[in-house]
Amino acid sequence: MYVGMRTTSRGMRSVIHELSIGLKRLTSLRPAFGDGFVHISGSYGGGGAVGGLLQSELLTTNSGGDRIISVSRFHAVASMPTTTTTTIIGAESRSSSLLLPAMAIPLADPSRLVQARFNSSSNEVLTADLGSRGGIVEIELAQTGEGIADCELIRWFVKEGDMVEEFDPVCEVQSDKASVSITSRYKGKVSNICFMPGDVVKVGETLLELIVNGSSNEQTPVPAAQQEEQWQEEASTLRRGVDPENASEEGVKKEILATPAVRHMAKNYGISLVDVVGTGKDGRIMKEDFMKHVAAKEAVREDLEPEGHIEELSTSVDGDEYSPIPPATDSGYFSGEDTIIPIRGFRRAMANAMTAAVKVPHFHYMEEMDVDALVELKNTLSTSIPLPPGVKLTYLPFLIKSLSAALLKHPIMNSTVNEDVTEIRVKASHNIGVAMATSFGLVVPNVKNVQRMSVLEIATELSRLIQLAGKNMLATEDISGGTITVSNFGAIGGKFGSPIINVPEVAIVAIGRMQQVPRLQGDGSFVNSSVMTVTWGADHRVIDGATVAHFCNEWKLLIEQPERLFLHLR
Amino acid sequence: MKLLRLQGFPILQQLYLEERLLRATTHNWCLINQGTNPPAIIVGISGKPEKLLDVKAVLQDNIPVIRRFSGGGTVIVDTDTVFVTLICRRDAVTLPDLYPRPIMEWTEHLYLPAFQTVPSFHLLEHDYVLGDRKFGGNAQSIIKDRFLHHTSFLWDYQDFRMAYLKLPQRTPTYRLARSHSDFICRLKDYMPSREAFTDYIVKAFEQQFRLQEISLDEVEKTQPSSVPHITSTQVFTTADLQQSIMPLIVKG
Repeated sequence: MYVGMRTTSRGMRSVIHELSIGLKRLTSLRPAFGDGFVHISGSYGGGGAVGGLLQSELLTTNSGGDRIISVSRFHAVASMPTTTTTTIIGAESRSSSLLLPAMAIPLADPSRLVQARFNSSSNEVLTADLGSRGGIVEIELAQTGEGIADCELIRWFVKEGDMVEEFDPVCEVQSDKASVSITSRYKGKVSNICFMPGDVVKVGETLLELIVNGSSNEQTPVPAAQQEEQWQEEASTLRRGVDPENASEEGVKKEILATPAVRHMAKNYGISLVDVVGTGKDGRIMKEDFMKHVAAKEAVREDLEPEGHIEELSTSVDGDEYSPIPPATDSGYFSGEDTIIPIRGFRRAMANAMTAAVKVPHFHYMEEMDVDALVELKNTLSTSIPLPPGVKLTYLPFLIKSLSAALLKHPIMNSTVNEDVTEIRVKASHNIGVAMATSFGLVVPNVKNVQRMSVLEIATELSRLIQLAGKNMLATEDISGGTITVSNFGAIGGKFGSPIINVPEVAIVAIGRMQQVPRLQGDGSFVNSSVMTVTWGADHRVIDGATVAHFCNEWKLLIEQPERLFLHLR
Repeated sequence: MKLLRLQGFPILQQLYLEERLLRATTHNWCLINQGTNPPAIIVGISGKPEKLLDVKAVLQDNIPVIRRFSGGGTVIVDTDTVFVTLICRRDAVTLPDLYPRPIMEWTEHLYLPAFQTVPSFHLLEHDYVLGDRKFGGNAQSIIKDRFLHHTSFLWDYQDFRMAYLKLPQRTPTYRLARSHSDFICRLKDYMPSREAFTDYIVKAFEQQFRLQEISLDEVEKTQPSSVPHITSTQVFTTADLQQSIMPLIVKG
């Protein structure tokens, strides 16, 4: 059922340290959990920022070989002062019941489960020894939505004295516009109902208390021996899937069946396919198998997109379309201690992409462009034409369209190069990637077939991609197949960059801030002019300086004289 | 996903059916009901009639008041309402958690192709709007590994019926203290016909789901109502409604 752990430590650092030791012992008991994970619930003093740090700490200290840990739920009890001693009520597996008994082995004290509650104001320690009290557990109101701090209790499905099974619904609450059923995580008898219908319950508050019957050995809903057997079966099935493929180090690639896309992904992530269990025909490793393996290995539950090549920070030229959102861990919470940020998800993908790009000899080319005409055009159009909701007409759609028009004259800039540098594939479609900073990290979705799209269509598609990026809901399709990348950091600031190519593309442009500068006219007078600097990065194995210069000149012409785009209209 | 199309189905029966399909089955469902008879007022799971309705008028005119099992606000429905309900397993969506907001945003994404011909469709706060005028509210019920999301679209409405509803205590920010008639709009002003609208919806859903049309009879046969499950849908009796306004009367 669950493992109880108690810490008497003060301060988050010590708590995490103790937890990590306990969790490591847990995972050492069962090394191959597959996609199982440990779910830790509890309460602690401090706000959401503390919770975030606590979670990422646990992920870090329990990753790297241990495939199990994912902290899926941790509740902040805001009323407790920060860095007071912390209660960890239990750890349980949520993903499958067969994992439960393996972890239903008490750590701190082999003979009983202990739950400790710390009184934050007096620092008294009140311990409830489950052996003597028959094991009272609290079921708290779990998070029912991001940013939701409380819910209204609608009704109870149980009353004091009733027996409940694991996963039985116990009550219903209203959250936002949803009625949500709350289920019990434990089997037991209802001993205390803490709220009445109509009450507002804060997330983390105890809804009801259950008496969990018997000693610690009988905590599991299913007899431990039976579950143990089930687990053994599962583990051996997993191993069977791997063994036939695992001939020798040398022949590993030939012996392991995997789709080319999967092999490519494995290369990008630097992960060997030897340990991946394939569920396709003849044990073939499918994309889903690989992603599951990566998630388990790095204890990440979000989707790692396979070709998510990431670029450095970018925002819109306006500064209001793609606002940079700082990563969640930069919460401003000062603990006086170093912060460790695990490299996972988008960060990991960025690290991998940059590592791949290091092999490419880059050169950089800078240019300054006069954007007065573009500013005027954009200001006129964005105020006078009706736009679909959520769509903004910024400079970027114009820049992207003119980039595409210039690519028609210099198509080699829209290419990819193969790994052994034996051929350049000049791409017909202009799939222009736009680097975006999100709270999840850097992501580069691309607008497909810009050569066929109007400026308005590009703006609409950009809005769609931005919205999805902000919610981490971009599809694989959205972030793969890019042919050239635009990185627009200008709205944050800065004039010049030295962008790193999105391998296997051959070029990338970083767009700096627009600024007003005085320009000397022919007659000796000065006028205010808007200028914008761009920095090109190109793969010098296949592109030379002259090519970039000619191409950039063409693009500059279209930006400085946008009316020239008329000539390309069909 | 199984698709059930109904016409003029009584809303109380529809809510009973939806609750059953949510709690006692494991399939994905889509229900589309074109209009309902008789007209009824539906309040959310925590709705209190005395706070939301002109109870005296409701009693006087004998309008049924139903408490549904999902959260959200109050609606008055009649033959001009188009109901669309989605009942899904957790694995039907690529959301990390079944939370109200992400589910609502997922539905916006799902509905978008249906409203291609109509300008400015989007989800604004908790409502479906055209521009800044609401034409559909929505509500959800989330249980373990399943959720239900239902919407009542205003194909058309009668102003006099809206008069039964009080201005709710919690209104969306974008409402800006507008009266009912300035706040909502009629979908019939934007679409050729109700049938075309429901066809657009089906086509939009088909982009994400394989729809298998099923009749009500088949549903009754394959998902019998004898399977016990929690029922939260209830009708307010006349006595309930009278009771709800008693303290107000006494206080004068």
